[in-house]
Amino acid sequence: MNVIEIKELVKIYSNTVVQVTAVDKVDLTIKKGEFTAIVGPSGSGKTTLLNLIGGLDQPTSGQIFVENVDITQMSSKKLIDFRLNNIGFVFQSYNLIPVLTAYENVAFIMEMQGASKSVIDTRTREILTEVGLGDRMNSRPNQLSGGQQQRVAVARAMASKPKFIIADEPTANLDSKSTAHLLEMMEELNHRENITFIFSTHDQRVMNKAHRIIVLEDGKIVKDDKIPENQRV
Amino acid sequence: MIWSIAWKNVWRNRKRSLIVIASVMLGTTAGVFTTGLIIGWVDQRVKVVIHTEDAHIKIHSPAYLSNEEISNTIQQSDAIAHYLDKMPEVKAYSKRIKLMTMAATSRGNTALLLQGIDVMKEKQVSELYTQIIPNGGNFFENAGSYPIVISEKSAEQLRIKSFQLSESKIDSLQKADVPGDVLAKLNPILNIRYNTKNLFRKDVEKYLSKKEISNYGFAINKASEHFRLRSKIVFTLTDKQGELISQSFRVCGIFHTSNSMFDQLNAFVLQKDLAQLAGMGPNEFHEIGVLLHDNEATKSVQQDIKKHFPQASVLNWMELAPDAGIITQYMDLYNYIIMGFILFALAFGIINTMLMAVLERTKELGMLMAIGMNHKRVFNMIMLETVFLTLVGAVAGMLLGWIVIEISSRTGLDFSSVGEGFEAMGWPAIVYPRITFNYFVGITLLVIATGILASIIPARKALKLNPVEAIRTDN
Repeated sequence: MNVIEIKELVKIYSNTVVQVTAVDKVDLTIKKGEFTAIVGPSGSGKTTLLNLIGGLDQPTSGQIFVENVDITQMSSKKLIDFRLNNIGFVFQSYNLIPVLTAYENVAFIMEMQGASKSVIDTRTREILTEVGLGDRMNSRPNQLSGGQQQRVAVARAMASKPKFIIADEPTANLDSKSTAHLLEMMEELNHRENITFIFSTHDQRVMNKAHRIIVLEDGKIVKDDKIPENQRV
Repeated sequence: MIWSIAWKNVWRNRKRSLIVIASVMLGTTAGVFTTGLIIGWVDQRVKVVIHTEDAHIKIHSPAYLSNEEISNTIQQSDAIAHYLDKMPEVKAYSKRIKLMTMAATSRGNTALLLQGIDVMKEKQVSELYTQIIPNGGNFFENAGSYPIVISEKSAEQLRIKSFQLSESKIDSLQKADVPGDVLAKLNPILNIRYNTKNLFRKDVEKYLSKKEISNYGFAINKASEHFRLRSKIVFTLTDKQGELISQSFRVCGIFHTSNSMFDQLNAFVLQKDLAQLAGMGPNEFHEIGVLLHDNEATKSVQQDIKKHFPQASVLNWMELAPDAGIITQYMDLYNYIIMGFILFALAFGIINTMLMAVLERTKELGMLMAIGMNHKRVFNMIMLETVFLTLVGAVAGMLLGWIVIEISSRTGLDFSSVGEGFEAMGWPAIVYPRITFNYFVGITLLVIATGILASIIPARKALKLNPVEAIRTDN
């Protein structure tokens, strides 16, 4: 089943001195449960492509279907609701709410979705335990390490039961140990709960875990490789 | 959780928030205290108007109001009195004879409105009998023939008041913390009687420095006051037949109210004395003062009396003392305008702080919008944060204002140094501030409204953020 289907996607930045085509006629399909890495040099259009898939930015032309719904036709207000209920985000610099505890950071998104208190409580505890932070629920972000914060961010992304999770260079700020720990955890979630992950990364360690690697150059897909299970590191 | 986030956000930059909270607190304290002061002032003015000057309602002959002639008495005064006796709202009433006279002593003269009263009835309606000054005699107790109660002001004009420092008064000044060396300087004027305040003051100025006069002059002046009770005052008036007649009265009491105009004009004698002197009949009166159990009933009782006695002029205290009436009517509005101005000024500081808070959290706001926080929630979060920030300061300010009012309502705030100016307008020089719970509710609502209005600009700034760009910023 296709979770994402992209057709002839183009994004041109024309408010710069020189007109820049960040995404150039991209066609792409991502299936349910894929663990996909989008790689490429800086300026290749990875983040722009993820922002477009995540409904954070509007394309110049082309279409993006999320489970057959064309999100490029949605108003910005509808897109906000769509993002809340369908897409999980993990950012490079964690971006947790510093005044809230790990528990509250995760619960908050479900509260915005309108879930009941008991559902929020059960699921929050469940997810935080799943990401290995069952004993740090009441810690604030500044009391957690970078790796732990990023695990809270993953838990937050999962809390809304999204159709897919977008992670923009999730390991860029992490040390090797934390990176390995995070990747193991995400792979486990992908495997166990069939959650679709789309990463942008420069990190070879992330690429080593990916089931599919899409290489972007100058906004175009130049390579799209599926990695058989026996070739993954 | 939006409430929780907003509350926690207030304390992110503790120092900055505390500065805003402190400014809101001081502003609110000032507003609450000013409100309490105005309410206290108006309360006391209204109390004086009702319980000393006018009563709740006054009944006259309409002709008397335009021409205060002896013959313009109330028609059917007996019937009116009988009707008032039956009205449950009426606490007491007093019938008065009022005649303009010329008063003279061997040392001075002045025009006075002589009021002939039934002492027992008058005491039920007016609290004037409580306004007799210390060492100023009494209100017709054990009085001899033709007793009169005059004001301190009239006593000055008729030179019944003199100024003299005796040994006993020096003792009382010493007890009132006037230093011994200052009092020793006044030995040359000990036991000398001065007929006017000016003469006394001039001699005091010879012996004391300006600083000593500024510190102790008021107390020395007060202590030196001496009233010659039992002094004779001759009154000249026109009787009912139009004949000019004279009669001497002896001072039995001196009063002082907070309205110097009232004091300057009025003097009180026994009704039987004045009626006999002016040749008036037992049912002839110029005024009936009516005191009610409840001020709220004033207008309905007024209408009722008017309806039954259309030939009489029936005025309530708001019409008789329009200054007090108008200020009572618009007091709430004045107080809220003052508070509104204070909050308006504070709003600029609050807006500035919230704009800084939004600027500092650009990245976080971008992230929240990215993960699905809609515009309404973003606006609510910033609005709540602003309201909390304002409300914390306001609650602290209201508490502080209430404490200040509670203390000053017991001690009173003495404006005696400028009291003459106030009293000339009929307003008391010592104020006992008071505030009601309703004002706190009103102020709280005003503060919340200020918070909401002050949040609009910062919230709009936040809503204009583009999540993609906001996430990329360093803040």
